[in-house]
Amino acid sequence: MENIDAARLQMAFTLIFHIVFACIGMVMPFFMVVSHKKWLNTRNPIYLTLTKSWQKGVAIFFVTGAVSGTALSFELGLLWPEFMKHAGPIIGMPFSLEGAAFFVEAVALGFYLYGWKKIPETFHWFTGIIVGISGVMSGILVVSANGWMNAPSGFDYINGEFLNIDPVKALFNPAWFTQALHMTLAAFTATGFAVAGIHAYQVYKKRNIELHKKAFKIAITFAAIAAILQPLSGDLSAKDIAERQPVKLAAMEAHYETKKGAPLYIGGIVDNETQEVKYKLEIPNALSFLAFGDFNAEVKGLNDFPKDEQPNVAMVHYAFQTMVGLGSLLMIAGMLFFVAKYKKKSWFNMPKFWLLFALLAPLGFVALEAGWIVTEVGRQPWIIHNIMKTKDAVTPMPGIIFSLYTYIAVYTILTIAVTWLMARQIKFLNSVKTNEA
Amino acid sequence: MIYVVLAFLAVSLLLYVLLAGADFGAGIIELFSSKENQAINKKTVYQVMGPVWEANHIWIIILIVILWIAFPHYYNILVLALHIPLTLVLLGITLRGVAFVFRYYDAYKDSSQILYDWMFKTSSLVTPIFLGLTMGGVVSGDIINPSQMENHSFLEVYVHSWFNVFSILTGFFYAALCAFLASVFLIGEVDDTSKSMYMRKASIATIVVVSLGFITLAYGYFSGIAFVVDFIGNIWSVSAIIVSGILLFPLWKSIKSGRRIISRALAGMQIFFILFAATITHFPNILFTTNGSISIYEHPVPDSVMNVLGISLLIGGVLIIPGLIHLLTSFKLIKLLEK
Repeated sequence: MENIDAARLQMAFTLIFHIVFACIGMVMPFFMVVSHKKWLNTRNPIYLTLTKSWQKGVAIFFVTGAVSGTALSFELGLLWPEFMKHAGPIIGMPFSLEGAAFFVEAVALGFYLYGWKKIPETFHWFTGIIVGISGVMSGILVVSANGWMNAPSGFDYINGEFLNIDPVKALFNPAWFTQALHMTLAAFTATGFAVAGIHAYQVYKKRNIELHKKAFKIAITFAAIAAILQPLSGDLSAKDIAERQPVKLAAMEAHYETKKGAPLYIGGIVDNETQEVKYKLEIPNALSFLAFGDFNAEVKGLNDFPKDEQPNVAMVHYAFQTMVGLGSLLMIAGMLFFVAKYKKKSWFNMPKFWLLFALLAPLGFVALEAGWIVTEVGRQPWIIHNIMKTKDAVTPMPGIIFSLYTYIAVYTILTIAVTWLMARQIKFLNSVKTNEA
Repeated sequence: MIYVVLAFLAVSLLLYVLLAGADFGAGIIELFSSKENQAINKKTVYQVMGPVWEANHIWIIILIVILWIAFPHYYNILVLALHIPLTLVLLGITLRGVAFVFRYYDAYKDSSQILYDWMFKTSSLVTPIFLGLTMGGVVSGDIINPSQMENHSFLEVYVHSWFNVFSILTGFFYAALCAFLASVFLIGEVDDTSKSMYMRKASIATIVVVSLGFITLAYGYFSGIAFVVDFIGNIWSVSAIIVSGILLFPLWKSIKSGRRIISRALAGMQIFFILFAATITHFPNILFTTNGSISIYEHPVPDSVMNVLGISLLIGGVLIIPGLIHLLTSFKLIKLLEK
């Protein structure tokens, strides 16, 4: 394997893990504080038990998210030294602010975890809110740095040099808002469905039903709202990409020939040699409408771009289809929950209902990872869109493959361990009476 | 504004070396303890460091981010030449953080604790050794400037830069320093029976730190490492080291009379003087390559970048520091009330 492939795989691998840990660590505090608030309002001990068990989840995921994030902050430089040498100062602002937000989060979490019965109740609850808000702030800032790689701004690129650097402009690059909005909603959807699904499974298995039903309702409410809003944010993203990164859009849709009134392909198998998409469902003029809001707008095809400036079309297309397909499925599931809540309360007594949500548990994260594959693989061969190629940024140090193997081993063990730990938390939760926790 | 940024860089480095060092040290002490004392230490670490240990480790992120934003040229040399030890530090930090949480947050306390404890203790020792190795590598003078890398072999560029006697000695010196800090910090947190255990650990650690420090400097001097030779010839560095050594006496006195705030302040000052001694001789040249040292002011970033970073750091500092102090004090006060 070439050094650059090993470096890209290592980066992808560590990011895939970090995203899961970070999203859970970012979203779960919100579930925790809702449950905590319900405990303060109702003094129903079930909510206290639930809050405390979610708090353990938050602590575990905060740390795994933090250490995998620390690893990434090093890896950026270790794997892509040429990128960081030039981009570091320009995109420093989101990272330094992220450091501050992260610090606030760690301090607030210290108060929250260790503050039970030691600090005033309302202040204690409020530190939980700060954990949540600063976590989301961190997420938005990091995504803004990624947005800069897609929409580089805040500098003039003259004769291979980055001049007239404006870090504030780089922070508020054209892609930051659409990406951050899409990612925040995705984090709530993915984490919400995952947490709700785990509790739904416990209800399905008839373990500690009262507690798990309450937990399910809190998590799924966040998830359902986010999943229903997500298509709107996706539409903003699509229109943005159509304008700024037409080659990425073309790859997402496996759209080869520039055309007015371009059709939208759903599914299909991409053959990059013959430039054909087989077994697809075709909706006439839909791509033009989605990208530009006009059924007859011209959509640029891949053939308009040099071969060496195209991403891996099949991978981007499949990832995009996966994201949209699963996203739509989760949106429908979110609507189902609201129907059950307001119209068909009897559904909550049907085992099938709980089984359905248990099966949906991992899908939010699958969609979220697929989305990141679209944006990251879709940007290739560029590390900074139209400025610097990924192959020019990679470290000259040979043997990155060994580093890759080590990371794969460590992160795999980490994942198994965290999953095992979570299973034990749930087992423990089911074994205690609610007033003991 | 560059001075504001440099001040934050120095403060982050000091606090990381000090606070994360004490965290690492707690694990090292546990590694070199009897079973009974291990249990005591495990409990103490949870009580004392639990609320703050996350915050302690964020200083390294601040440190890295400042380096890459404000001194990208320096950062670039470090990540190239010291890729391997930095990766090992990272793995150590990862395993240690995870083990810390696992051993206190696992719902069941059963035989899996043995694994968590083992992970925690070994990574607590290995991480500061590689961290010290990296710091030793920065000044040992074996780093090859990236512009000349092509003429050198893999071993010369990526391994000899840090795998040399001086760097290894520095690694062990830092690990011993961590154990010293942890035992001084923990003495004030336990009852009288455990106190004598930490006193014993502290005295052993002191001896190890002083002898390793002496050996490291002596080795550096006799093998002609520029950093050490100039260091020993510089009145400021030598005085700082002597002051740091002399501070051991009041430190022992305050430990014995149970004044823990003063003990901590004194131990903190010792670290400050050691870092001061290490940087003052050559400042602003902190990085030593085979072709001599490089100034941190070389290849400056534009003012716009430096200003924005400085302002961000000041705002962040205003936001965070009161919260952090409140966190530190409120849990200390609570502990007193519980007694």
